[in-house]
Amino acid sequence: MRLRVLAVLAPLVLALTACDTPAEPEPPIACASGAVSGQGSSAQTNAVNAWIKAYQIACADAAVAYTSTGSGAGVRAFIEGTGDFAGTDTPLAGTDLQRAGTRCGGPVVHLPLVIGPIALAYNVAGVGDLRLTPQTIAGIFSGTVTAWNDPAIAGDNPGTVLPATKIRTVHRSDGSGTTANFLRYLTAAAPSSWPHGSGSDWPLPGGDGLRGSHRVVAAIARTDGAIGYVESSYARVTDLPTVRVGTPDGSWAQATDEAAAQTIASAQVSDDLRLEIDYTAATAGAYPIVQVTYELVCRTKITPVTRSFLTYAAGRAGQQAAEQAGYAPLPPALQTQVTQAIATLG
Amino acid sequence: MAYRDGVPAIEIRRDTPGLLRLFTALTAVVAVVLLTALTVVMISVRDQVRLIGRDAAPQAATAADLYFALSDLDAQVTRILLAGDGDESASSRIDALGVYRDRGYQADRDLQSSTADSAVTLRLMDGLAVYRQRVGQALAAPSAADRLGYWTQATNLLHQRLLPDAQRLREQSQRRLDDAYAQKSATETTGTAVAVLLGGALVALLIFLQIWMARRFHRLWNPALLAATAISLLLALSATVVLQLQSRQLADGRDAGLGPHLALSELRALGYDAAADTGRYLVSANLSYYRDDFTAKSDCLTGDPACKIRSLDRALSSGSASVTAAASARGGLAQVAGPVAAGRWAAYQAVHQRILALADSGKTAEAVGLLTGIRRGDAAFDFAYFDASVADATETRRQHFDRSLRAAETTLTGWSWLPTLFLTAVLSLLPLAVRPRLAEYR
Repeated sequence: MRLRVLAVLAPLVLALTACDTPAEPEPPIACASGAVSGQGSSAQTNAVNAWIKAYQIACADAAVAYTSTGSGAGVRAFIEGTGDFAGTDTPLAGTDLQRAGTRCGGPVVHLPLVIGPIALAYNVAGVGDLRLTPQTIAGIFSGTVTAWNDPAIAGDNPGTVLPATKIRTVHRSDGSGTTANFLRYLTAAAPSSWPHGSGSDWPLPGGDGLRGSHRVVAAIARTDGAIGYVESSYARVTDLPTVRVGTPDGSWAQATDEAAAQTIASAQVSDDLRLEIDYTAATAGAYPIVQVTYELVCRTKITPVTRSFLTYAAGRAGQQAAEQAGYAPLPPALQTQVTQAIATLG
Repeated sequence: MAYRDGVPAIEIRRDTPGLLRLFTALTAVVAVVLLTALTVVMISVRDQVRLIGRDAAPQAATAADLYFALSDLDAQVTRILLAGDGDESASSRIDALGVYRDRGYQADRDLQSSTADSAVTLRLMDGLAVYRQRVGQALAAPSAADRLGYWTQATNLLHQRLLPDAQRLREQSQRRLDDAYAQKSATETTGTAVAVLLGGALVALLIFLQIWMARRFHRLWNPALLAATAISLLLALSATVVLQLQSRQLADGRDAGLGPHLALSELRALGYDAAADTGRYLVSANLSYYRDDFTAKSDCLTGDPACKIRSLDRALSSGSASVTAAASARGGLAQVAGPVAAGRWAAYQAVHQRILALADSGKTAEAVGLLTGIRRGDAAFDFAYFDASVADATETRRQHFDRSLRAAETTLTGWSWLPTLFLTAVLSLLPLAVRPRLAEYR
């Protein structure tokens, strides 16, 4: 009797209750089976490792391997036929591009998948907020600005008490994409103050040269007066303060993922998705010193599992994983372009 | 006026108008008492549901999260030390540093939001500061011997002081949650009794009045009384249904949602700590203590009777032994998380044994490579694979509890004022029912 009463009345009561709609699920990864391998840039290793873990967890029949050999070695190996993709911090040009095309039997595609700011981390007693224009940065790293209370630095930081501490610059002693991107910025943004050119190797004597960003950041952390350039995730995990860089519109940009993404969003994108960043463009709040890592793939020769893996990496879940690993997510418009480009491969 | 023993006597008129007024007044009094009691009960139940869902349950989840964060904090320190300063392991080191930092924030946040035992919370905050100091000393130590010494202090501090204190907070919060459920259950029982007894009494009085008036006034139906009776019956039954329904919803949320979620959090933390023992074995140059420690924790994860961790017996109590057992971590991964998670832990166990075998045969570099690699069959990947399944199961249970809580809150929507509405209608219909009959006597 009681159950019948409940059965009759419960719907009346439940009519007052709202049905609970479940949360919208994340779209699943479109898995493929097989093995895919890549090699190259060490700057993107953490992002790629995060993708590999997530992809392999979701796709039981796939195996992905990435060897962090550095951009140069990675590109050479790709040209010689090793690996399904290569990670490079610098787009291919000239002979390398031709040889890669020969390897692929057709065009090579650059897929910008990992981006992030290059931060100028520093360790100066009593200075918590530091602003530097591109010209001052060039002066510091070229050795013409040698003390923290130099008029150039004081001019960028009115009202800030600056110590007379000697500046100790720290740079990468090994060839690196981080160096290449930093020098590319200095050459474009402060050409009169930085006439030393660009490239993967540090061009000047002096300063402290160390292998690997982890040693650079450790050197900055233990040296009063030190300043160096590193991927921003290194500065973040070691709680080192970073410079606010002067931009052409007169503002000062912090090395955040959002500010870096703004610079990327305003870059010119070529047909094969190479980005041309205009360091002299005035975009409010955009942090100009950025690093872009590309995955090189053959346009016509690509395995289904490689395409599936790269589709995941370029998608929302993959870019979230990269963000959690310390990188900036691709701006939405670029993400769409990259995803569409991957869909046309093969 | 009549007097009895010198005192004015209240005469109960036994004529029809007098009896009609008496029965009407009695019915109205019962209605008012029912209104008051039901409103108080419903507001109490609503507040208790809020206490469970917005306070006690989140506190229990926060305490479980704190335990997990501390376990993984130490696991990341082991990773950082294993990575060393080598170029090849630089990315692993920076990743571990990042996770170490994040877990530290997580632990700080959990401690900040803890409203449990303030003495234990303060002790934990102090202990965490000392732990961080020791880790910093280990990472900056000039020699391997110093590094090992500071790291041993740090991991001992975590396991012998911080985790037991975190366990205390976890147990306190679960007891508070049990108490909140028990109090709500008592209020529901009272509310059901009120609805049934007083509601039944009101309906009985209304029916009696209907029958009495039909006989006295030779009129079969009194529409206003009929309406009042129907409303009273609906109120009594609905209140009973609502109390029973939200009780079942919240009980289901506890038994199939929150209880297993807390058990899974505990097992997940144990898994992280056990996996860290693989690295600790290598960092400590093959100290057998960490081999045995891994085995002991793994026994608990597999539900082996040899498991000696008593805290796993604890589960949110439903009173039913079988339900409590199903929500307890004692049964291991297979019982709470399912066979997939249990199978993946078995795979990690196998690679753990391979790593220890390599280390024992002097192939430490190979052992470290197998530990940190992310290919299938490497420890780092196999553990991530295992953790993904446990994390999914944990999240599924948490969502189940959230849905049950929302359902219970929705079920109770409006019941702080619905009794007033219903019974005001009844109290308004009573005079409408009797006034025309009383008018016949003027």
